[in-house]
Amino acid sequence: MTTLQLKNIVKRYKSQTVLDDLSLDVADGERLVLFGPSGAGKTVLLRLVAGVVDPDEGQVLIGGADMTDVDAEYRGVGMAFQNFALFPHMSAFDNIASALTARRSSKEAIAAGVGKVAKLLKIDHVLTHHPKALSNGQKQRTALARALVGSPPLLLLDDPLRNVDAKLRFEMRLELPRLLAAQGATVIYVTQDYKEAMALGDRIAVMFEGRIRQIGTPADIYNTPAEIEIARLFGDPTINLLDVVPQRGPDGAFVELSGVRLRLPGFGPEIVGKACVLGIRPESIAFTDASAPGAIPVTVEAETPLNEKTVTLTLTARRREILVSRPAGTPGPQTGPAHLAVNSRATLLFDKENGRLMRPSELASKRNGEAA
Amino acid sequence: MASVTQPGTAPRGFRISKRVLPYVLSLPALLVCIGILIPFFSAVLYSFQRYRLSQPWARQFNWGENYLNFFTDPGFWNTLRVSLLYAGTTVILELLLGLGIALLLQRRSTVNNFISIMLLLPLMTAPALAALMWKLMTNPGFGILSYFASLIGLENFRWASSPDTALLTVVLVDIWVYTPFIMILLLAGLRSLPTQPFEAAALDGVPRTFVFFRITLPMLTPYILTATLFRLLDSIQQFDIIYAMTQGGPGDTLTVFQVEAYLNFFQSTNVGRSAALLIILWAITYTLSNVFIKNWLRLRERARGEA
Amino acid sequence: METMSPLERLLRGIALTLVVVFFMFPIVWIFLMSFQTNETILRIPPSVVFTPTLDNYAALITGKLQTAAGTLDIAFMRNLGNSVFLSVVSVAVALLLGVPAAYAFARHKFKGSEDIAFTLLSFRFAPPLLVLLPLTQYFQWLGLSNTYFGLIWVYQLICLPLILWIVRGYFEDISADVEYAYRIAGHSWFATFRKIALPLAGPGIAAAGLLAFIFAWNNFVFALVLASADKQPVTVGALAFVTASGIQYGQIAAAIVLSITPTLALALYAQRYLVEGLSLGAVKG
Repeated sequence: MTTLQLKNIVKRYKSQTVLDDLSLDVADGERLVLFGPSGAGKTVLLRLVAGVVDPDEGQVLIGGADMTDVDAEYRGVGMAFQNFALFPHMSAFDNIASALTARRSSKEAIAAGVGKVAKLLKIDHVLTHHPKALSNGQKQRTALARALVGSPPLLLLDDPLRNVDAKLRFEMRLELPRLLAAQGATVIYVTQDYKEAMALGDRIAVMFEGRIRQIGTPADIYNTPAEIEIARLFGDPTINLLDVVPQRGPDGAFVELSGVRLRLPGFGPEIVGKACVLGIRPESIAFTDASAPGAIPVTVEAETPLNEKTVTLTLTARRREILVSRPAGTPGPQTGPAHLAVNSRATLLFDKENGRLMRPSELASKRNGEAA
Repeated sequence: MASVTQPGTAPRGFRISKRVLPYVLSLPALLVCIGILIPFFSAVLYSFQRYRLSQPWARQFNWGENYLNFFTDPGFWNTLRVSLLYAGTTVILELLLGLGIALLLQRRSTVNNFISIMLLLPLMTAPALAALMWKLMTNPGFGILSYFASLIGLENFRWASSPDTALLTVVLVDIWVYTPFIMILLLAGLRSLPTQPFEAAALDGVPRTFVFFRITLPMLTPYILTATLFRLLDSIQQFDIIYAMTQGGPGDTLTVFQVEAYLNFFQSTNVGRSAALLIILWAITYTLSNVFIKNWLRLRERARGEA
Repeated sequence: METMSPLERLLRGIALTLVVVFFMFPIVWIFLMSFQTNETILRIPPSVVFTPTLDNYAALITGKLQTAAGTLDIAFMRNLGNSVFLSVVSVAVALLLGVPAAYAFARHKFKGSEDIAFTLLSFRFAPPLLVLLPLTQYFQWLGLSNTYFGLIWVYQLICLPLILWIVRGYFEDISADVEYAYRIAGHSWFATFRKIALPLAGPGIAAAGLLAFIFAWNNFVFALVLASADKQPVTVGALAFVTASGIQYGQIAAAIVLSITPTLALALYAQRYLVEGLSLGAVKG
């Protein structure tokens, strides 16, 4: 286990800034997931930590020691690559052993180390094969074994499940947390899959355009995404985002959907008339009776099954789309008019201008302060 | 498990070696070639001197006189004419033949692949030795080609020995050696073209001449350009075939740039004129090579991208 | 593509036959000639019916040529030895110098790397005599005239650009991640170069070496200008041999066969890589 600190890292390729004044602290033994769309700079960041790419500015500290100028082979990190990066001319055994041979360990120690990790990853029966003869899943496990075998205190995993099929990805998603916990290493895990991020991360750092835009626990990120963009990336089906202009009501601000008022708890007059985006997660909406208070009338357009959920596309009176999800197998309207109940506590309000989340608590306390 | 290199115990000062490493790796190769650059500058210097090996005492700068003399020197104009004629004729004929053969061999089959491999053999024959082979075949006494010529009524066809047919003979040798070069480049190009446009055209019953001129040829253009420029660069500098066949003769029939420069240097020992000729040739090839490299890079990138 | 009509098939067949005859005939004919005595060579009309003899090869190998005027010493085997020595050593040196440089150009985009790489490439296209003629004088001063060392140095002009640009392409084809993975596993750049880059680029390096060998072997003008009889390779030697032996056509043919056989054999062996090599990596076969 070790700590990792990145201080004001800048990396440019030609005129393009790939990492823009990026700082990050990873605690001892923490599992941090770097999440973001492709091109966000995640892979460059990992390579920079590994020491195969040099930053233009800033420092990389591993275990408190400045490693910025230290070559990759002295950094003591383990890394698994998205494309596996196996050595095509070596057997799986030699691929894995490569992380031990550099330390001039004895043959027996190497064989024992490789055997142990291979058994753990269930590839002990294919160790004599060359990468060409391995299945995709076996390749991925070999790459992982190579990263793990030296018990590096810092483990960098670059989207290791990206290039494997869905079934294997599912299996590995269950298996990896146990495996990583057993390693006891500090882990940085890169992924583009929000479910993987939520399943594996102690914390998630969300990256776009060379910056970390939000960092927090999976629950934090899911429940209070700092930006519209982040809200959009987490959750399947995607969060409903509706342009709204809050109005003043007797008990705080509200917005209208299909002519029905939806209260915005905690928000007051400061947001009235401001262009906002209302975010409602599809699972925070349920079908209800027309008679229920605050029921929003909609028209059901289509229904799609999605894994363990059923997703319904509905249209408001102004023909705005709202997705509703419910557990598969539960009853719901198939077509025609219906009514929705929105859990107003689970709504998110973003400033349309800058895309930032507006937090009622801050505003409320500010209002209280003004009142005092 | 085995102990781990502790972070922070790593040796320092690696940044420097990381920066210098590529220079260290490429320096030896560079140094070897730098030595060769010095004679190049000497040649530039010589070209501005009156310099005859037979009269070393009379060596002095005459500035552009060597070049100015060329304007009134029929020998120079002959060199320029023969060089351009040789390069033009060989490249055009080789391009047409090479393209034709490539099209014949386009379809992948055992026979076609075998033929395309056999056609590499002339290309891999030393041009000087190829010239000797043809010299034996065109020998007026027993040469098989002279015999063939007599069969079609060309008695006493003298091939390279006659000023009328010397150029034809060396062009023939050049074609024999270098057509395969164009052929294999264009064949590789043809075989790398996407198949969909051709399948679509065949389905629509588009006439084949139309397909050739409107689809094949435009798509093949980068390959044709690269191959042509490559050959042009070599052909304008041809020395081996001509020197081995006729040493520039008969008379001054085949005194192309490099042959003329060689003869000037070693036979008439006129170093100044020889150097000036080579500088002019260099200027031509330098211009051509700039165009060539641009095309070549584009093609190279494409090949690497597909890898 | 469309199916061919019988007429088209026939025309194509005829065209291909003509092509094969044109390009193969000289090699076959010289080969046949090398097994004939002057007597059968000089027959008119020529014929392919003859009793083969190995006398021509025997004369070349023993270095003794029996003529009507007596015994003539011929140094052809020495030329052949020179060709082997010059080509092998030149390619070895070029590989030693060129492979690390190619690696540097492929992996490290350092300052001026492209300029240097293109300068080296430009040697391939400059008129060789431009360098060779002044070089005769430098070599005299340096005592390198007519030495193997001097020749091998100049041969680098042929071999180095070829190896540099072909091998560079093969190094570029290796995924950088594979090398990174080895570095991260704890190996130095040199170990990575030796254990990962070299083995993976191995076939390409071998092909570039073979092609450089062929080009070195086939070179004519360098040795013509810089070497005297005892250092000359076959390309120059054969020409001198023609002048010296005069009318011993069978021996000339045998000498040509011996001179072109090594490169043709290598070309057939490495044909898979020739397309890429000949275009300096611009076209893949």
